[in-house]
Amino acid sequence: MSALELREVVKHYRTGREPVRAVDGVSMRIAPGEFVALYGPSGSGKTTLLMLAVGLLVSDSGTVCFGDKDIGRLSEREGARYRLKEVGFIFQSFHLANGATALDNATTKLIGEGLSLRSARERARPWLERVGLGDRADHMPYQLSMGERQRVAIARALANGPALLLADEPTGNLDSRRTRETLALLRDVCHAQCIPGLLVTHDAEATLFVDRVYTLRDGRLSDGLDSELAVASL
Amino acid sequence: MRPAIFDIRVSVLFHLYLRRLRAHTVQELLAGSGVAVGVALVLGVLLANASLLGSTEQAVHGVIGSARLELAARSNDGFDEHLANRVRLMSGVQAAAPVLQESATVIGPRGRLSVRLIGVTPGFVTLGGVLTRNVSAGPSLIGEGVGLPSGVARAIGVRPEHTATLLVGGHAHLVKVRAVAGAETIGSVSESPLALALLGYAQRLAGRPGRVTQVFVEPQPGADREVASELRGLATGRLDVVPADNELRLLRAIAKPNNQATTMFALIGAMVGFLLTFNAMLLTMPERRRYIADLRMQGYDWRQALLIIGFEALALGVVASIAGVVLGYVLSHTLFHRVPVYLAFAFPVGDQQVIQVSLVLLAFGCGVLATLLASLVPISDLRPGRARDAVLREAGGAGEGIDRQTAVWFGIAGLLLIALASALVLLDSSLILIGGAALALATLCLIPVAFTGAAQVLRGASEHIPSSALVLAVRELRTTSMPLVALAGVGALAIYGSVAIGGARHDLLTGLDTNFREYLGTADVWVTTGGNDLTTNSFQASGLQAKLARAPGVSSVRVYQGELMDVGSRRMWVIARPPGDGTIIPASQLLDGQLAHDDELLRGSGWAAVSTSFAVEHHLRVGDAFALPTPSGMRFFNVAAITTNVGWPPGALIISTADYRRYWQTSEPSALEVNLEPGVGQVAGERTVSAVLAAYPGLDAQTRQAREAQYASNSREALQSLGDISTLLLIAAALAVASALSATIWQRRALLASLKIQGYDSHQLWRALLLESMIVLGFGCMIGSVLGVYGHVLASRWLTLTTGFSAPFSLGAARVLLDIGLVAGIGLIVIALPGYLTARVSSRVALQE
Repeated sequence: MSALELREVVKHYRTGREPVRAVDGVSMRIAPGEFVALYGPSGSGKTTLLMLAVGLLVSDSGTVCFGDKDIGRLSEREGARYRLKEVGFIFQSFHLANGATALDNATTKLIGEGLSLRSARERARPWLERVGLGDRADHMPYQLSMGERQRVAIARALANGPALLLADEPTGNLDSRRTRETLALLRDVCHAQCIPGLLVTHDAEATLFVDRVYTLRDGRLSDGLDSELAVASL
Repeated sequence: MRPAIFDIRVSVLFHLYLRRLRAHTVQELLAGSGVAVGVALVLGVLLANASLLGSTEQAVHGVIGSARLELAARSNDGFDEHLANRVRLMSGVQAAAPVLQESATVIGPRGRLSVRLIGVTPGFVTLGGVLTRNVSAGPSLIGEGVGLPSGVARAIGVRPEHTATLLVGGHAHLVKVRAVAGAETIGSVSESPLALALLGYAQRLAGRPGRVTQVFVEPQPGADREVASELRGLATGRLDVVPADNELRLLRAIAKPNNQATTMFALIGAMVGFLLTFNAMLLTMPERRRYIADLRMQGYDWRQALLIIGFEALALGVVASIAGVVLGYVLSHTLFHRVPVYLAFAFPVGDQQVIQVSLVLLAFGCGVLATLLASLVPISDLRPGRARDAVLREAGGAGEGIDRQTAVWFGIAGLLLIALASALVLLDSSLILIGGAALALATLCLIPVAFTGAAQVLRGASEHIPSSALVLAVRELRTTSMPLVALAGVGALAIYGSVAIGGARHDLLTGLDTNFREYLGTADVWVTTGGNDLTTNSFQASGLQAKLARAPGVSSVRVYQGELMDVGSRRMWVIARPPGDGTIIPASQLLDGQLAHDDELLRGSGWAAVSTSFAVEHHLRVGDAFALPTPSGMRFFNVAAITTNVGWPPGALIISTADYRRYWQTSEPSALEVNLEPGVGQVAGERTVSAVLAAYPGLDAQTRQAREAQYASNSREALQSLGDISTLLLIAAALAVASALSATIWQRRALLASLKIQGYDSHQLWRALLLESMIVLGFGCMIGSVLGVYGHVLASRWLTLTTGFSAPFSLGAARVLLDIGLVAGIGLIVIALPGYLTARVSSRVALQE
């Protein structure tokens, strides 16, 4: 079991002439089985941090490691392999393919590994059942509610047994009941599978479902929920 | 007070559209390109076609002016010019003027050009034709020389007072160019292939002293019928009395098959344009629907929302259609602008472009209408009872697809349309346009069901084949989304048109090659006035036949005669074969009769082989007798055989030279057929004949092979514009599909970015995008080619029915594959780059900051 660890990570962007520090000396560690929230307002650098974690951005300094793997040093091919085999990613906008059933959407990562659709379906079906959509497997995305779609996206992220779970505002499009259900499910998965999970959110209430909270503000990380920010966001 | 509609100021409408243009420049450009391409294709084809008739119309009216009747000779030899005086003296005649018209070739330092030599008297000016308006100046202007329109002078490189060579009647003359008339003097006739001379001089040049070919007559108002009757009395059955612009009527009949084919292309072009526009509008549909919802939530009522959306579509349609008109004009001037050589032998078809305002307005109107229609889809959100913000709360995806049941209904409609097209073409060949359009529509209707079926098959395959590219591509295809169907439809339509009409064109060329090979196969060397494929320019060459017969290596020389003769609405090709010819009727062209027996009959007297269209028109069968208006009066022939039109659309009449000499009252050959002794090669024989012809500079010797090559080249040039239009349609469709498909792919950036985050690399995504594009283009092309082959079968049938020409069907699989390869190849090459860039999309697009 591996942990996700960031050490003194710095990432600059250049907007016009002025460099912007999107991530400014961030260090954090998420242990296996731990479900952690990264809380922060829009523009605080959350997305940049996620991109660094999946190897789609390389830090200007510091290291991003998953287990003994230095993510910043992976080649493009190795990076893709890492994301495909080891990372489960959940998006706010679900990003389901309209032409595929719920079950086929859940196979997306598996077919990328080279499995035939039939084999991929066999492996994805239990996960669809696990998220409560066993009877909706043959439905198309437009026949599902928002909450159901997000659960399909979760099944997709978990179907190939990832070693790391990342979620980018996964409840942004859900109502409060669906939000609670989804977050509880993600936490349970991390605990049950003993994998590290990182929830990126700007919803303070979401932090109630995690084991620990980090707050990211102007690229700087702090432990715990920034109550000033949380109150302001209400 | 500033103008307003439904309380919205017009200036605000413009402002809103400019705002839209700034925000969605690429989408608007894409939609506008679709409209412009469609308008350009339609207008380019129609203008090029109209110019063919228009230029001849200008040339004919430039000569006849206000004349309404014509007393016309039935042969090149014409009639006595004094007959014109008798016409002039008739009661009811306001003006009458004789004219001699003769085919000629004018040669200058820059080249040679086939023209119609027109000899007129100074009195011709009373008819007021633009070409002859300066002839009243008489000898001082063109005197002993010719006047040329500036287009002709430019083409051969001469100016006033230069000397040019004029080949006419088998003789070469050095003539002085006395005047060059430009557009400022004679308008657009300045581009017509004419040469003007005073009658006496023209008669000397043509070797026909005292002869004229027509007398143009302007009756007094209301006296047309009376004058026509008097003219018929004067004609005594040896001359024709016809409307002065009879030539145009004849040309329209000849050009009809070509017109129908090009109109078919224009229709396909219009459909392609509409589909492109429709597709471009579909791409913008989600955003437009949100825009409508926004407007209504801000308090605009449905009329105001409709006005804003309608105005935006109108603005786009107008601007894009103007661009299309300009592009179409350029196309008609360049790529589509060709004068069919075979028509130039028989009509004064000019080089000028004739812009018909009605056609421009038609193409422009179609463009605007297509844009308005294509913008109607999001308007469904304005229907009563629909919540104003419904679209904002709806889940995406469902509305863009075509469900299976709808696809099946479309498929049934497609099959019905195919049945309808078959029935129409088989029942009545004049319904070919409707049949062709029905098949084109069927092509579109079959695409959804084919897509659904294909997606099903590919899905089955993807279950077993471990290929992520295949699975990802099939997912997109399974939605059978409207944009994909529309794009596949564009490719399918282009292929359909190209395969159907291109195939018929190929069959026609093959048939023409066979026909002319047999037609020319009777001699080793042909002596003619050169150029004219129909071999209808007669010449005087006293003693030439005997001289040639004595030349070393020559075994026989025979006189061939031929002429174009107007019979009713047909300008028939009269072929008079000498009895010594090995075959009289080209074997491949015989439809009814027995070749050997019929050849024997045609070597005698009183028999004729007639084209099927003529036979049908006159209810003739083999053995029947019919009367033919010849220069010596009505003469009776028996039908020996029924043939195709022998490559000349209005039809042909094959008789013996004996009958021709007797009834046409001329022994002038229009060709000499030279056969060589065994062992003498054609090239050596041609050299020998050319040596004899040195004393006859207006005549030309060609080996059979060289003449066959000339015929083949002219046939191909005559049908070249169809090939050009077809190729352009394919390329335009491929580029348009590729750009629209690229835009569709570009819209999926977020989904692709999410796949990258999930572990797909750029190359995997690129492969999936290319595979998806290949499937869309491939299926579109496949359906288009299948229907195209069927269209080709029907078109061949139509060709046989309308022209009577034998155009044996040949599938031409290589040609079909080439068309598919062209569309799919260009499409994929164009898609490859934007596909690659899209596949390299930043993953950030999938995330929410």
